[in-house]
Order: sequence, then structure tokens, then C-alpha cells
Amino acid sequence: MLRFLAFSIRRAWQGFWRNAVMSLAATITMTLMLLMLAGLVIGLSGMDAGLRFIEQKVEVQAFIADGVPQSRIDALVAQVRALPEVSEVDYLDKQQALAQWQEQLRQQGQPDYSSETGTNPIPASIQVKLKDPHVYGTVIQTLQAAQGVVTDVLETQHVVDALLSVTGFLRTAGVVVLGLVGITVLFIVVNTIRLAVVARSEEIEIMRLVGASDAFIRWPFIFEGVLVGLLGAAVTLGILALAAQPIGQGVATLIGQVPIQFDRNLAEELILVVVGAGLALGGVGAAISVRTYLIR
Amino acid sequence: MTTSTRRIAGALAAATVSHPEPDAVEGTSAVVGGLPEPRRISIALEDVSKVYPNGRRALADVDLAVPDGDFVFLVGPSGAGKTTLIKLLIRDEVATSGTVFVAGRDVSRLSRREVPKLRRRIGIVFQDYRLLPNKSVRENVAFALEVTGTPGRQIRPAVERVLALVGLTAQGDQLPTQLSGGEQQRTAIARALVHEPRVIIADEPTGNLDPLISWEIIQLLLRINELGTTVLMATHNAEVVTALRRRVVALEDGRVVRDEVGGYHREY
Repeated sequence: MLRFLAFSIRRAWQGFWRNAVMSLAATITMTLMLLMLAGLVIGLSGMDAGLRFIEQKVEVQAFIADGVPQSRIDALVAQVRALPEVSEVDYLDKQQALAQWQEQLRQQGQPDYSSETGTNPIPASIQVKLKDPHVYGTVIQTLQAAQGVVTDVLETQHVVDALLSVTGFLRTAGVVVLGLVGITVLFIVVNTIRLAVVARSEEIEIMRLVGASDAFIRWPFIFEGVLVGLLGAAVTLGILALAAQPIGQGVATLIGQVPIQFDRNLAEELILVVVGAGLALGGVGAAISVRTYLIR
Repeated sequence: MTTSTRRIAGALAAATVSHPEPDAVEGTSAVVGGLPEPRRISIALEDVSKVYPNGRRALADVDLAVPDGDFVFLVGPSGAGKTTLIKLLIRDEVATSGTVFVAGRDVSRLSRREVPKLRRRIGIVFQDYRLLPNKSVRENVAFALEVTGTPGRQIRPAVERVLALVGLTAQGDQLPTQLSGGEQQRTAIARALVHEPRVIIADEPTGNLDPLISWEIIQLLLRINELGTTVLMATHNAEVVTALRRRVVALEDGRVVRDEVGGYHREY
């Protein structure tokens, strides 16, 4: 078994270097495909982060009438907090609400006229975050029931539902695109490796004639494919490592509002995806290519 | 199948085929415990026909028995079925009907996994040598053992032994492209011989060589035969066949038309 492994790996190594041009072509194809795959994974994870950020924004807002005693507001906050659908309840008094408003204006670069009036037109509010943006339960009814305390409940249910169906669609579309690209990549890589195998069909024929078992013919080629995959993965990761900084900055300036982070998690995921895909594509591609010559 | 049942199958195959040359059936019979053991059969074809998918009938009702240690020429015009017969023997093709025994195995019943094992019991030599161009002579010969998982310490002495036998010790480190045609064919013969097969099957081994070199190759095959290996050689080389007066099997239109000791052409 050990001898078989040593033989296969030695033959794979020889095969790779003695057909350097073909091996190089296969490695470059592999690198390009893996880059495409990695780019898609980065894009999708960025989109996912964006979608999650938007979904987090979903909340129910209830505006409080001016001059309501603090005790009644506290009671309402406690009542809403007790509901099973609710994850977080924040109370913003008039000063805080005004400060938030001014902050938003400043961020959007619009002139702030709120100090001109000398009064505070912004009502205090209760902000309710839901555990699941789909499930409102009795939150809105509870808030509306507080007569005299709540002036208005910002009903965003249908807006949110529309938003959620859009984000859901985008997620599904992302997975479908990833699958399609994956299949395309598989076909291209298999074809490239097949070229390298076809160039050596005579060698396979001779191996068969001198009594090599299928395993002895197949595994050197699979290891060679794996070698191509690993090399492609290494080059791809090298390029990604070099490109990570400028891309990260580019994305940051493009959509500054959405905090997409190229964090350690994504890097680990990418290494896993690229190396795994390289290994699998190379190995499977070679196995499929050699199969043609073994079935007789 | 165990070895002993295979022997029985081989012997049965031999018994059912009427052999035209009594001398060849006797000869080297081993005597064990006073009882003569019948000589084993290297190659036996019974009622073999081969029809290709395109409808061409390459072989029809071929019967042939080659005992261990025989030297047989397979002759006939192009398209007579020589190559098809050889392809059946090495299981490159499967007979449409009939049975093919090679080295004690029913070739037509071999599973895919068993085909390599059959090929290790036979040595194959082709007209176009079929050497790996980017491997040296030594590596080409060693290759036949490497792919069967033989340990390295056994490979080296075996390779040197056959290289000495074919007279290529000095050229061991050269690539096939640096060799003459005769030397390339001797490399191929060394490769066919290195795993000590019972049978050597040669398909026009002298087809690409000039007459002098052809004689060298034939002499080499004769010496290998003297060492105990059965040799079946398909050839067009009338001069060699006629001069050597060995057993000749002639094919025409896929049928055996002659099977006797003699020359290339029918002699009356």
C-alpha cells in the first residue's frame, strides 16, 4: 500500500513536470476558475452581510405623546419587553430623539435647522426590535392599545415583508449562481485536465498492456490533478491576499453605510473553499478524464 | 479458480483440440512420481469467432492449441485476422463466440479486474515497439514491474538480467529516441520478458526492421523460447519463417487454413 502510494505520487510528480506546458495550462485554468469562485463567494458573503444589516433595521416604532408620565411609559416598555416575539426594546426620550435626528442630518450632509425653532418637535419613541423580522405577534396591538400614551405606531409590516421577499430572493439567486458557476468550473477544469490526459493516452495504453491494474493507472493521474488543484489554490490565495487590502477599501468607499467586514471568518472560509475546490476539481477532473481509457 | 483446476481446464482444452503435430505434444513432459504429466497448454482457442460491431467477420471457427514451450509462427495476408487473434489473446478484444485459454485462464470469462493479472502472465511485443519516449531503456523495462507493485530491490536485478539477455546493458540509460530500431525492439522484448511470462506474443516484431536486424530479433526470440517461454509470433517475413521450419499457423479470411511444421507458403 505504501509502495503503491509512493509509486503513484512519484509518477504524478514526473508526469506533471515532463508535460510542463500542459500542466501549466491546467494550473492557470484552475487558478482563473478558483479566482472566479472566490470572487463569487466574497460577493455573496458581502451581500449576505448587507442583507443581514438591512434586516436588523426592521423594527417597530411607537411615538409617545408629549407629557406622558414616565411611570406609564416604563410600564408599557416592560409590557412590550415581556412579549415572546421581542428581542430588544429601547426608549428614546425627546432629547435623545432630537440628537439622533441631528446626527442623521449631519451624516447625510444636510443643513440642520432644528436649532432655529428653539423648541423640540421630535416626539419621544419606543423602538422595538423583533427576534424574527417575519413574526410580529401582538406587538403592534399592544402598542396601539396604550391609549393616551402612544400617538402613532409606525406600521412597516408590508414594507418589511416586501423587503424580506427581496432579500430572500437575492439569497436564493446567489446560491443558484454559485451552483451554476461551480458546474461551469468543473466542466472547464475537467476538459483542461482531459487534454493533458489525452496527450498521454499512449502512456496509459502501454501501462494497460504491461498489466497495470486500473488503480495503478488511475491514481497517478488523480494525484497529478490534485497537484494542479493545490498549485492553483496556492496561486489563487496568493493573489487574493495581495488584493484583499485594495478590494476591502474599494468596497468600503462604495457602500460606506453597510458595515461589511472582511474578517478572519471570511478569510478562513475562503481558504477552505479555494483549497477544497482545487483539490476536488483536480482530483475529480482527473478521475473523470482517465475513466474513458479504463473502460474497455 | 485455483491453479490446479486451471491446469485441468488447460489440459481439457488441450485434449479437445486435435493437434496436427504429434512431436510438439510430447517433448518436455515432466515426469512426476513415474507418471508423465501432460504438457500444459499456453494458448488454446476453441471454435473462436469474432465479429466486429460493424459486421466484419474477422475470425471464424478458429481452433488452435499451443503447448508450453512451443514456438509458433502466425502467418497470413493482411486482413486475414492475425491481429484480431492476438487482440483476443491479450484481451484487447473479446471473442464473439468460443473460448480462449491463455496461460491457463479462460480469457473471455475474465472480469475487468482480472485482465491486468492475465497481462502479467504474458509478454507482448509490437511492431511499433510502444516504448515510453521520456523514459530510459532501464526505466521502460522496470516500468512493467513497477506497475505490478514489485518492490524496488527486486526490480533492479530483474531489469539487469533481461537487459543482459537482450544485450542492452550498455545502452540502459539512453532514451528510446537515441536507439536504433533493432535496439528499441530489443528493449520492448526485455520489457515483455522482465516479469517472466509463460507466453510471449509478438505482433510483427520485425515489421519495421531491415532483414539483418530482423534476424537478430528472431534469434533473440528463439533463445527466449529455448529458455522455456512459449512464443507466438505473427509475421509477414516469409524468408525467416521458411528458413526456420517451425510450426506455422496460416490464417486466411479469418480461418486457419494450415497448421503444420513448414515454410511460409504451402508446400506440396
